[in-house]
Amino acid sequence: MITTAMDNPDTHSGVSNAKLGVWLFLCSEIMLFATLFTSYIVLRTGASSWPWGWDALNVPLGTLNTAILISSSVTIVMAYARAYDKDVKGFRLWMGLTLLLSFAFLVVKGFEYHGEFAKGIWPSTSLFYACYFTLTGLHGIHILGGIVVNSSLLYMSFKKEHWDNPLFLGRVEGAGLYWHFVDIVWIFLFPALYLL
Amino acid sequence: MSGDSNGHGAHEPSFWRKYVFSVDHKVIGLQYMMTAMSFLMVGFALMLLMRWQLAWPGAPIPFFGRLFPPDLAPNGVMSGEFYNSLGAMHGTIMVFLGVVPLAVGAYGNYLLPLQIGAPDMAFPRLNMASYWLFLGGGLLMLSSFMMPGGAAQSGWTSYPPLSIINPGQTVWLFSMVLIITSSLLGSINFLVTAMNMRAPGMSLWRLPVFCWAQMVTSVLLLLAFPPLEAAAFLQVMDRVFHTSFYMPKGLVVLGHVSTVSGGGQPLLWEHLFWFLAHPEVYVLVLPPMGIVAEIIANNTRKPLHGYKTIVVSMISIGVMSFLVWAHHMFISGMSPALSNFFLVTTMIISVPSVAILTCLIFSLKGGSIRFTTPMLYALAFLPLFGIGGLTGLPLGLTVTDIYLHDTYYVIGHFHFVVVTGSILALLGGTYHWFPKWFGRKMNDTLGKVHFWGSVVCMIGVFGPMFPMGLAGASRRLYDPTAQVHNLIVQPLNVVSTVFAYGLFLFQLPFIWNFFHSMFRGEKTEENPWHATTLEWACPSPPPHGNFDKTPRVHRGPYEYSAPGRKTDYWMQTDPA
Amino acid sequence: MPDKTAAAPHDAHRPNVRLFAAVFGALLCLTLLTVAVSRLRLERPEAITVGLLIALIKGGLVAAVFMHLWGENTLVHRVLYTVAFFAAFLMTLPILDGHYFVHLLTNPAPVAAQHPDEGH
Repeated sequence: MITTAMDNPDTHSGVSNAKLGVWLFLCSEIMLFATLFTSYIVLRTGASSWPWGWDALNVPLGTLNTAILISSSVTIVMAYARAYDKDVKGFRLWMGLTLLLSFAFLVVKGFEYHGEFAKGIWPSTSLFYACYFTLTGLHGIHILGGIVVNSSLLYMSFKKEHWDNPLFLGRVEGAGLYWHFVDIVWIFLFPALYLL
Repeated sequence: MSGDSNGHGAHEPSFWRKYVFSVDHKVIGLQYMMTAMSFLMVGFALMLLMRWQLAWPGAPIPFFGRLFPPDLAPNGVMSGEFYNSLGAMHGTIMVFLGVVPLAVGAYGNYLLPLQIGAPDMAFPRLNMASYWLFLGGGLLMLSSFMMPGGAAQSGWTSYPPLSIINPGQTVWLFSMVLIITSSLLGSINFLVTAMNMRAPGMSLWRLPVFCWAQMVTSVLLLLAFPPLEAAAFLQVMDRVFHTSFYMPKGLVVLGHVSTVSGGGQPLLWEHLFWFLAHPEVYVLVLPPMGIVAEIIANNTRKPLHGYKTIVVSMISIGVMSFLVWAHHMFISGMSPALSNFFLVTTMIISVPSVAILTCLIFSLKGGSIRFTTPMLYALAFLPLFGIGGLTGLPLGLTVTDIYLHDTYYVIGHFHFVVVTGSILALLGGTYHWFPKWFGRKMNDTLGKVHFWGSVVCMIGVFGPMFPMGLAGASRRLYDPTAQVHNLIVQPLNVVSTVFAYGLFLFQLPFIWNFFHSMFRGEKTEENPWHATTLEWACPSPPPHGNFDKTPRVHRGPYEYSAPGRKTDYWMQTDPA
Repeated sequence: MPDKTAAAPHDAHRPNVRLFAAVFGALLCLTLLTVAVSRLRLERPEAITVGLLIALIKGGLVAAVFMHLWGENTLVHRVLYTVAFFAAFLMTLPILDGHYFVHLLTNPAPVAAQHPDEGH
């Protein structure tokens, strides 16, 4: 009943509800992270000094996490490719891998935070660490959100009724779009905090 | 998400499913309406308390003064901290919990799917989540009065460093995050619905003005709210984890040098806050403009003058509203070069606003006007909103703003826009669409009493603020008599307060009328106003799923008094 | 708006696994490259330019291929252009103002010149 409007090409945008909704949500996310990056730039240019990432943070762990997140982006797009071919087992395998990699990202992040806390470094230590903890923390919350979505898709993949639903593939695609966006944010966060 | 079985036309849902945890856009719209109107009353009540202190500073508040705990109002006299809390919460509640949810959550939710001929929103469950997040955020905001440290005291704008030093701000920030998330979900839903769910034949240029207003508003909410969400996170970090995003180095608080690491910039918050809050002003104004356009077209019995001009103006207001935010910051110490930029954009954005108002006024020309209750509100909107808009021009010019910025002039300007503009239109919309919501009409006599009383009192409350501001009365004082130059205009404060209490009294007939008519009002048929748009082509109130069969749209939204026809209205659904 | 996607042959949307593998390799190489360049410790302006450029390429690859923006419906493109427009203002104007703030911090002289009677 709700999708009857799909039958009217003259009054339908041509992008499915789910995909358009996810893209609009990503638009708001773009504005959110644009604000955070703006704050970072304004504060950094206003600061009298700004540490070099290699001196202040654990760059090897950061690089490892970058590789993990990029890999998870590939595994989720593979899961989409498997779902596209209605390959149930392949989808579960790649989606499971994606979830493993996302947990690995969080574990590595935990080690990193632990190392900093052990050195007595907190968000209040300096403006640099305030930016570091806030930006990576908010990114981490987005990872957690992605884990919730992806694991619910994995759970759904065990029920046949969802594979019969034509909207299931759209959901997998939407979850993928979100996950790639989180990846892109990290692609910019990593050099901004660790390297430059 | 979409397309799940939501029980359309299936078995009768339980009471909880039907009225409380409903996914029907009409029920959610009415939930939004009741909640937002209650919040409007709460915000209004806070202001009535503040008006007492402003008119008779230091006098104990009658009747209610003793009810407050002694640390807020010792011996019934309002304390300065309490006054600050009331001010901050009045602004926050009115804007974020009152007018926006009423204009967008209530009217948009109920009418947008009906006007485009859709059975429901694109994501019904997201719609429900949006309402419950809003309610949670609103209740959390209200509960902050009872929390240790009290409610926020730093104005609805929450400027740091004050907002980081003052108690009570953390709860404000968390409830704002809930409210913002609710708005984001709502606006995504509105946009997808409007892009994908229109009935066959409903091309974009056949959409009623109200739908256009809701679409532009949704874009504003979608793109302007996230910056405030991010900025609020940073302020939470400053308050909870003692970072210094907004705290400069060496700040002296009560004689002590602050111990934060420093290096932050308070102006950054102002930029991010106003990047939201200026589009927010247009969120307050555009849907009411849409409502006024619908009422005027219906009651002049002729097509709107310049439908396309109005729509294009609304879109350009939407675009420009993102580029004018720092005209709120002319005296903040911002770069003078940027001030010039924002001065120019501010002058430009007034052009489309005037264009819309002009089109609406020209729509009256040559019409056979029916002076129904909703039409009275729409007619009053035109000049009063005009006053609100025109008094804004001196505030958009840097030179005059420097003098006027901290005075009551600003309060007068803003409230003329939002109260005699937005709220008046929203009240008119209630009388207009009430028959659709409940299948009954509101009482006309009580409606006219409500109208005339409210309009006179609103002008009485806010009119005196212009001379007060021009005389230099500061808008930030707990005790206006503390400055000698204010004494000469102090009687105007009394006038304003008396009219505020009058305004309260004149809302009582409305409240009675609303609830009484809901059950006892005169019954009406499908289309009591002989209107043309799609929401009048389904039963009143519309059943679950709205239309028996998907309507077909054949023409534009305002085909009134078409020559050669028996009736003076030609519905969008009429085949010929 | 005409529905272009529905008219296109179904296989146009088929995920291209080989392309994904190639992009994966490119992303890993670019990550190593940006870390290596950072190790050189160039002057800050140069380092930021290079780092930002590599990040843009990586982000572009993910968006174009993994998010299949390449060949996506033009409505999505238009939505993204709109956001880019507003985000550009959101970023540039506060940053410009931040530069003015730095200017005041490092050059207090113009402020003193505005209030000559307060000087000693």
